[in-house]
Amino acid sequence: MIGDMTDMRTAYGKALVEIGEQNPDVVVLGADTTDSLKTADFGKKFPNRFFNVGIAEANLVSVAAGLAISGKTPFASTYAIFLPGRCVDQIRNAIAYPSPADKKGLNVKLVVSHGGISVGADGGSHQQVEDYAIMRVMPNMTVLIPADTVAVSKLTWIMSQRYGPHYMRLTRSASPVVHQDSQEFQIGKGIVMREGTDCTIAACGLTVKMALDAADSLKQEGINCKIIDMFSIKPIDSELLEKCARETGCIVTCEEHNIMGGFGSAVSEVVSELYPVPIKRVGVNDKFGESARDSEIPLLLEKHGITSINIAKAVKEIIGKKK
Amino acid sequence: MGINYYQIKKNVRKARKLVIRATSIAGSGHPGGSFSMAEIMGCIFFKYLKYDPKNPTWQDRDKLILSKGHASPGLFSNMALAGYFDPSELDTLRQFGSRLQGHPDLKCPGVEFCGGSLGIGLSFSIGSALAARIDDKSSRIFTVMGDGETDEGQVWEAAMTGAKYKVDNLTAILDRNFIQQDSYTEKIMPLDEELVGDDLSEMWKDASRWKTGDKWRSFGWNVIDIDGHRIEQVDSAIKKAIQTKGMPTIIIARTIKGKGVEHMEDNPKWHGQAPKKEFVPIIDMEIDSQSMIAPSIIAGDMTNLENEVKRCVTGRADYIHLDVMDGMFVPNKTFDYNKIRELRPLTVIPFDTHLMINEPEKHVKDYVDAGSDIITVHVEVCDASSFGQIHDVLKSNQIGVGLAINPDTEFPEWAVQFIPKLDQIIVMSVVPGKSGQKYIEATHEKMHKLNQILNHNNFDGYIEADGGVTLDNIGACFVDGARAFVGGSAIIGQQDVRGVIREFRNKIAYARRKMLIQKAHELGGNDLVAKWIDLHVIGEKKNQLGTIARELGYV
Repeated sequence: MIGDMTDMRTAYGKALVEIGEQNPDVVVLGADTTDSLKTADFGKKFPNRFFNVGIAEANLVSVAAGLAISGKTPFASTYAIFLPGRCVDQIRNAIAYPSPADKKGLNVKLVVSHGGISVGADGGSHQQVEDYAIMRVMPNMTVLIPADTVAVSKLTWIMSQRYGPHYMRLTRSASPVVHQDSQEFQIGKGIVMREGTDCTIAACGLTVKMALDAADSLKQEGINCKIIDMFSIKPIDSELLEKCARETGCIVTCEEHNIMGGFGSAVSEVVSELYPVPIKRVGVNDKFGESARDSEIPLLLEKHGITSINIAKAVKEIIGKKK
Repeated sequence: MGINYYQIKKNVRKARKLVIRATSIAGSGHPGGSFSMAEIMGCIFFKYLKYDPKNPTWQDRDKLILSKGHASPGLFSNMALAGYFDPSELDTLRQFGSRLQGHPDLKCPGVEFCGGSLGIGLSFSIGSALAARIDDKSSRIFTVMGDGETDEGQVWEAAMTGAKYKVDNLTAILDRNFIQQDSYTEKIMPLDEELVGDDLSEMWKDASRWKTGDKWRSFGWNVIDIDGHRIEQVDSAIKKAIQTKGMPTIIIARTIKGKGVEHMEDNPKWHGQAPKKEFVPIIDMEIDSQSMIAPSIIAGDMTNLENEVKRCVTGRADYIHLDVMDGMFVPNKTFDYNKIRELRPLTVIPFDTHLMINEPEKHVKDYVDAGSDIITVHVEVCDASSFGQIHDVLKSNQIGVGLAINPDTEFPEWAVQFIPKLDQIIVMSVVPGKSGQKYIEATHEKMHKLNQILNHNNFDGYIEADGGVTLDNIGACFVDGARAFVGGSAIIGQQDVRGVIREFRNKIAYARRKMLIQKAHELGGNDLVAKWIDLHVIGEKKNQLGTIARELGYV
């Protein structure tokens, strides 16, 4: 139900078990975080297709690559900080780079939890705000940032059927459902959540809900925003972005990531080439995070400007710069 | 052992030359690490690995994962010999548009792993081994790692994982050449024990200093220590590894970086440097002129041949020469295949069985079954038909094929057709029948004539000098073209077999160095001779080369 608070990791673990029943080639790997990632259920059901390699992420990624080249579809999971954050070399040289005939990269799915600063209590050392940039720059890599559990389930299914290296980032905390169960997802295509003419708000992950909230409050001030969920930040929906630029004349991007090299950068790259319009990026402004208890996570997000209020402010600012 | 030892040896030789050719054309690359693993790769490729070069993605194939990807020329050269592509493609190594990238790449069909970022290959191999297990396939994974590579922490993550999941369908081989890019491994990051000083040979003298195997054992691996340049040891280790169930195996192969080319051996400089083109013909000649020592045990205590075999083992013989005499072809009688069968379990050193018997075609299978690796019969008791039969029996059993010729015999016309198929020709320089005779000087002239016939008929094997070979004449035998040397009383008759074999090798090394200097002079005069000598910076080689050049008047 729209608005329900649901847990992405649970949705992921459940999807894996369902997929595992239908697809004997799917294997799951973990690195001592399988309870947390909810992949342990897959392990109970399919012990021969489940490998917990311990706290050894470089090994996790590379074993997954070896399984993939032998025809398996491995899902390797742990926390964001330990995969892109720790294993750039293995992800690059064992997964993204090796390309069998007529294919691009190996068929490994890297699904991480604990992305962004909303990790909270674990502190800044464990809050990955660099992963979009790291993974986006990797040739052959698909990068997915789902906004809710509907997206997580559907994208997990899609990844299991779509060849190639994929990265998907989940958040630790429960997140509000923003999509109908019937919503269709297509890699490389954004989802228009709401039509509007004054400004486009392009969002991904937990900022989709914030964008919707911002649009609600702006509407009361007579400002109509178009909201797009760009869960597929690579490949990115250039066509949609160009259309939005033409129709609304300005764009606000929002992300739970460093605004340098991340989602806002990706949108800016496309728009500046296809139909330049003013863009304002909302996100972590080249800083690290810090600890916050669950009840304090809104304060932490607020400190970094990742709120619906700040998004609304950005919209008003950028509308003023329209030509 | 059952391999055609000689065929592997020949392929290893050809692969080394391809590495030299490819890296010299590319102007960069890694010959050192390609050569330290040359015998390992040869043995895996041509004895154990299941693959189909015409169908590189064959589902049930084995996989060779070259984790130490910088040694790609050593992989590509073997792939070319195995038929994945024409050897001429190696000329494109490291060039724009080539499938043969600086490090192995899936762009080239048959390559299984993009190696080169070190430390990843073992994990990747475990993934492949687990996939084979899930699919209930009998495919094996062979993973070749460098020793410097095991500085990487991920290798030990993989070591734990391999043990946890008991990947007994995976065999790792550690190319323990003691050298990494900057210097000796034991100086940069000791795997055994820190090396003080610059003399790497210190590490070889004392096996108690080797700790690498202990590390792997403590990680739960089955460890087999071998000399990685001995094909028979590589072969035997892989066989044992395959038989070991319930745990993964690592073969720790002690090797020499740059092995096969003296100036590259044990020299860190040749980790990642290509030879200059002007030296290529000299290096090729060097690679083609490697020699084997084959002690003949009948020169020892005939009542205790077991002990003579053991002396050959401690003496580090290349072959054990077994003279079978039937009392008919020659007046004496020695032993037959029953004795060979008894001796076989004592060592993996190849048995070089020399049948001095009548009607060898009737008996040859017994000698195959007894465990010979090379079987040589005499031209005097064969004709085209009987030797044809013998050849077929030996080939089908993967045994080396040899033909021997007595001092008084001219090379017979019927045997010419077999020359390209021979692995070995034994040229007798005494009348066979008993040991301790003097070398017949006329053999030199005979070798000269024989070489012409052999060269004319594409001989691709080795000539073995047998009879009266001593420290005094072994150099001359080498110059004649012999590359295997039987030593009877001159080796087995001596107290210190190991010492005398070393002296034999030194004599051969001298003759070989002289031959190469002459080649350098022929190609580029005194200038090239001086440059060639300057390459030899490790050990005592340079001084001897200087002396040889002065003696030849090349200075």
